[in-house]
Formats: sequence, C-alpha cells, structure tokens
Amino acid sequence: MASRLPTALPRRPTTSSTLSPFNTLAPQTTSSSIIPTLQQTQTRNATLIRRPKRPYAFTQVVQLSDGSTFTLRTCSPHALYKSTKDTRNHVMWNPSEKSLKNVEVDEAGKLAAFRGRYGRGWDAESVDPEGGAAEAAETKGSSKGGDAAKKDDKVGAASFESKFDSSYDPLGDLISSYAVGMPEDKGAKMAGSTKSKKK
Amino acid sequence: MASSARSSGVAAALLRRRPNVCASCRTTQFLRPYSVAAEAQATAEAHHLKPTQSKPHEPFTVSRQAEYRIRSGVILSRAPLLTRPLTPFENAFFFYQKRLNERLTTEFRHSMFFKKDTAADLDWRIKLEERGGLVAKELGRYYAKGRNAWNDELLVGSTLSDENRIRETLLKDAELRVTEDGEKAKPDEIVPVEKPQPRITESDKKNDVQKLDRKLDQTLYLVVKKPDGEWQFPADDMSTEENLHQAAQRILDAAAGPNMNTWIVGRVPVAHHVVQPQFKQDTSLDVKGEKTFFLKGRIMAGQADLKEGTLGYRKFKWLTKDELQELLPAPYFKSVRKMMADR
Repeated sequence: MASRLPTALPRRPTTSSTLSPFNTLAPQTTSSSIIPTLQQTQTRNATLIRRPKRPYAFTQVVQLSDGSTFTLRTCSPHALYKSTKDTRNHVMWNPSEKSLKNVEVDEAGKLAAFRGRYGRGWDAESVDPEGGAAEAAETKGSSKGGDAAKKDDKVGAASFESKFDSSYDPLGDLISSYAVGMPEDKGAKMAGSTKSKKK
Repeated sequence: MASSARSSGVAAALLRRRPNVCASCRTTQFLRPYSVAAEAQATAEAHHLKPTQSKPHEPFTVSRQAEYRIRSGVILSRAPLLTRPLTPFENAFFFYQKRLNERLTTEFRHSMFFKKDTAADLDWRIKLEERGGLVAKELGRYYAKGRNAWNDELLVGSTLSDENRIRETLLKDAELRVTEDGEKAKPDEIVPVEKPQPRITESDKKNDVQKLDRKLDQTLYLVVKKPDGEWQFPADDMSTEENLHQAAQRILDAAAGPNMNTWIVGRVPVAHHVVQPQFKQDTSLDVKGEKTFFLKGRIMAGQADLKEGTLGYRKFKWLTKDELQELLPAPYFKSVRKMMADR
C-alpha cells in the first residue's frame, strides 16, 4: 500500500525548493537534482482503499441468569445464549442477597478434619468464630499427654496462637500443629520452653 | 414597517402611563385591567402581598421567615426494569439495516464455527436447509447476493420486522434438532426452548397500583394518602437540628416502615413546593405557609408498609408520571413534574 503512494515526487517542487531555508545553502545541487524529476508527469491516482473485512453478524437472544432477555448482533451462530454468571447473580452487584454469599459447605467434616491435622495455614481468610474452635481443639490434643505441669504451657500456647492469628505465619502454624499432635512429652516440653522464653 | 413602528409606539406610551409597574407585571399583565381595584388585586396576588400592602417592595428574606414552615419530603421511585418497546418505525429501520448489512458483509463460513461431522454441524445443516440455504435467521426470504438483492425494502403492512416475531423465530431456531445419538431428531423429540416472561405482568393485568412489578418499562413513584384525603409524596416538618437529607431518611422510615431497602440519591433537593401563608385583615398571620423540599430516593428491595408508619398515612400507591398527573392537585404536580423522567 505504502509503495503505491507517490512519495518519490515532492508535492510542490517549485515552492519548496525556493522557499525552504535549507535549500538556499546549496541551491545548485538541489535544483539540478529536482529538475529531471519535474520533467516527469505528475500523477494523482487515487490510492486504493480496500473495504474493511467485516465478519458476518447474526442476531442473538441473550438470556441473563434472572431470565431477562435482549437481542444483539454477534458473530456467534447460536440463536440463544444463556448466561450462567452475570451481574444479576453476582455478589458484587447484589450485596444484600444472602444466598450468593460465600458460605463453606462442610457436611462431611472433611475440611474440619484437614484443619485439625494441618492447621489453618491454608485458609484464604481467618474466620473469627471458627478460629476459637480450632484453638480449643488443639489445646485438647495437647492435654492428651496428661501432665499437670503443662498448664502454664497451655496458657503460653494459647497466647502464642493468638499472636499467630494476628500476624498470620502459615509455616509456623504448620510446625506448631505438628508439634502439638505428637504423643511424646519431650517435644511438647521443648516447645513449651521456647514459648516461655519468647514470653 | 410603518404599522409595526406605530404599534410599538402605542405599547411604549401605555407603559409610560404606568411607570411604577415592575417588569414582570408589564409582560404578564399587558392586557388592561377592568378597574384599578382589579389591577391592585392582581398585583397583590402575583407578589403574595399582605392585605394592607398595595405594592411590592424589597425582597423579603428574614422578615417573612416566620410565615413559612420548612418541610422535607422524599420522592421515592422505582427505576424501570425493562427497556421500552420499540416503535414500528424503529423496528422497520433496524430490519432494513440488517438486510443492508447482508449485502455488505463477508459470507458466513460455517467451517470456522462447526467442526465437520459433529452434532453441532448436523444441527446447523438441518436448520440451514429449512431456511432455504439462508444464513440469516430472521430476515425472511431475502437473498442478498442474488438477482433480486435490490428488493430489500419491506412493503407497507409487512409483519416481518415485528419485534415479537423476530424473538419467536430466534427462539425456534435455538431448539436442538439433533438427538443424543447424533441423528436428526423427530418432531416429537424436539424440546422447545422455555420462553422468556412477557413484558405484561399479572399486576399490569389487574392494575394493582400497590405492586412494584407493574409498568416494568416506566418509573414508579410512591405517593401516600393523608388523613384528609389528599394524595402527596411522604413529607413532614423538620426540626432545626437535622439536615434535609437526614430528615428525608427519617420521614421515609416513619411514613412507610423500615421494610424497604432504599437509597437517598443526594443531599440536594430535586424539587420544592410552596404553599403561601394566609393573613387576616389586620395583617396578622392566619395560616402559616409551607415550603417543602423533596429529595430523590430509590427503592432497591422491599415494599412500603404503612401499618408501622407513624405519620398517619392510610394508603399508598406506586404510580407513573402520567398517573400522578391525574391524581395529584395541579399546582402540586406542577412543582414536582420537572424532576420526573419521561419514562
């Protein structure tokens, strides 16, 4: 396309050569170079502009998730498009709709079991009411050892957990939950000693 | 030229005779009144003068403040849920544009959208065959590349461009024509597509003015009935402790109960209505005037419930602008009509 444009020819050869200040510095050379081109006939052919390619457009009925419909022009050859997720059933546009809220379904208790074993380090967000429950379960696991001397350790552990809840350290949470789950007293005592040091 | 000059001279002379008439009176009361008394009465009415006053003087701001009560009100509206139906002309125009587009676009290449020898491909072929090889679904028997391509205009009275017909055609086309085995479905095996709900609802048919699912393509406004039988927007007196928008929210809760999810759009009133005070002969105040400022509100969910309301309203209605014009008193409607959209 660009090669067809008559760029080799100056638009106004006479005026540009005489009036431009750059050409006055070396008038002889420029005029000698332009004169033979002027002898050619100037052409003003229209450049070919192709019609833009437009894809074929169908009319389509779009049905939103609440059943409302509208028609639009689209490339898709399907006559009906049913949307499953749109502004009509998304929480962002329906903040007061309770059924759209993200509620964890855990009827089989698998998620709770996972948390009991590996802690809450993999949760997307810390949930306050369940956080207390998980903490209680962990303290129960630690009391399995049946040591009276551990009582102060328990208090220390609880404060430690609450610290973690605020600062959110997934790896530390994992390690501490493993330590709690172990049946040996030694590991628990060691953990307790470190905690008391931190205290 | 001469006659117009003469007539303007007459008007100027007339005005020169009454130099103490203000500019608005000069334009509005150009017709000569029958008597001086009538003229004085008209002036007094135009400027809301007290009985002993004869001519208007400086604007009253502070001095007449005590003669009015300031009230706040809410114009609660439900936004239209549907777009308006198109006019026959618009339908015909869009239909013509679609046919014109048929002549200008590139051809549809179905191999780009349908893999060969699949169920979708078979489905497309069956429907294409039924349309007589026409790719477009709703444009009638029009061959855009054929010999009669020029004949793209509809005749008067043709129903081809009808909105409902086009929707019906498209929904018919959306039916699946291939069985699960990948064979052509028999007529009794075709499952029709569920049709969308109509624009006219049950409440429209019953004309139940208390329902919110009526007139889905128009804005509805909440009006309530006062104990004295007059209809108006919910409004009440304000205390000096609260702002307009705070008062509007309080009034809305007090009038129509808390069972509504509403949103007061702004803090600036969208309309105001003035009732002039009435005076006795000795210029003492008889009845205070009212200045009501209306704020705009939207209802998102819920319904008005007057049983829990404390402002004493008995009935409510959700009405369109046209219906309000019939129901409300003329001066009242005149002062609020500008804030209402046409639809």
